[in-house]
Amino acid sequence: MAAVPFDRSVLKVNQAILMTVIVAGYVVGLVYHPIAWALPVLAVMMLAAVASPAFNVPRLLYLRWLKPAGIVKPRVVQEDPAPHRFAQLVGGVFLAAASVFVITGLLLVAWVLAWIVAALAFLNFAFNICVGCIMYAQLVRIGFLPLSRQPAR
Amino acid sequence: MILLLAPLIAAAAIGGMALFLRVQRSGQRELVGRVLEPVSGGAQLPSILYFTGETCTICHTAQRPALRALAAGLDAGVEIREIDIAVEPELARRYRVMSLPTTIVLDAAGQVTDINVGFASGEVLRRQLVDAGMPVAA
Repeated sequence: MAAVPFDRSVLKVNQAILMTVIVAGYVVGLVYHPIAWALPVLAVMMLAAVASPAFNVPRLLYLRWLKPAGIVKPRVVQEDPAPHRFAQLVGGVFLAAASVFVITGLLLVAWVLAWIVAALAFLNFAFNICVGCIMYAQLVRIGFLPLSRQPAR
Repeated sequence: MILLLAPLIAAAAIGGMALFLRVQRSGQRELVGRVLEPVSGGAQLPSILYFTGETCTICHTAQRPALRALAAGLDAGVEIREIDIAVEPELARRYRVMSLPTTIVLDAAGQVTDINVGFASGEVLRRQLVDAGMPVAA
């Protein structure tokens, strides 16, 4: 896929939501276990965002409120968005797995998975270390995600 | 209260993953001193393999300009080969490239002399080329 203008602020908003909801949910969840049902909500949010930009709640929040209000400034770069979508998919799958454990009552496993997602979101948010993107590059390298490209020269 | 363990277990999982990546990276260091590709006939100067990818921002904004500036001051016989890992995944696998950019310095015989993971400045690469046998005047 070609590099296109891509606003990284959408990713930052998504990561901020993930970290805030997971950490706050965990703290509340220590005394009020049903708050763990926030994890399936986050999973749906992440997977919907991968499915279509129209269902990307952080993006809509950014475009309709945070950006116009000047709370979050745009950071447009020329980049292929595919690795970031893949990273979101990985986060969504982790949260979907956490949701299964919420349903089955294994809250410890659910929160471990959620904390992994929060930690990876933090790495990306604070240091621009996108572990999902690294995974994507590795999968491309081993041919698991074939890209139809012409040789560079 | 067993839930208190959740962040600790997650930290351990991520720490384990980081350790795994570190071990893999040290595996890449084992390539130093080895020849992985036969050198095309007549090469008498060291060369650089520059592994990049379309999605690697720092490759395009920093590493490529640094290599271009370096190349401008080098003997034309010093080859800087740009390799897109999506186009040549087998070569990336052979050199155990784990992250981008990666630059690998080869001597005239094709033996790996230096591996840089992440951005490498032109100054560093030039020094490594000299260590790999490039004449200082070049």
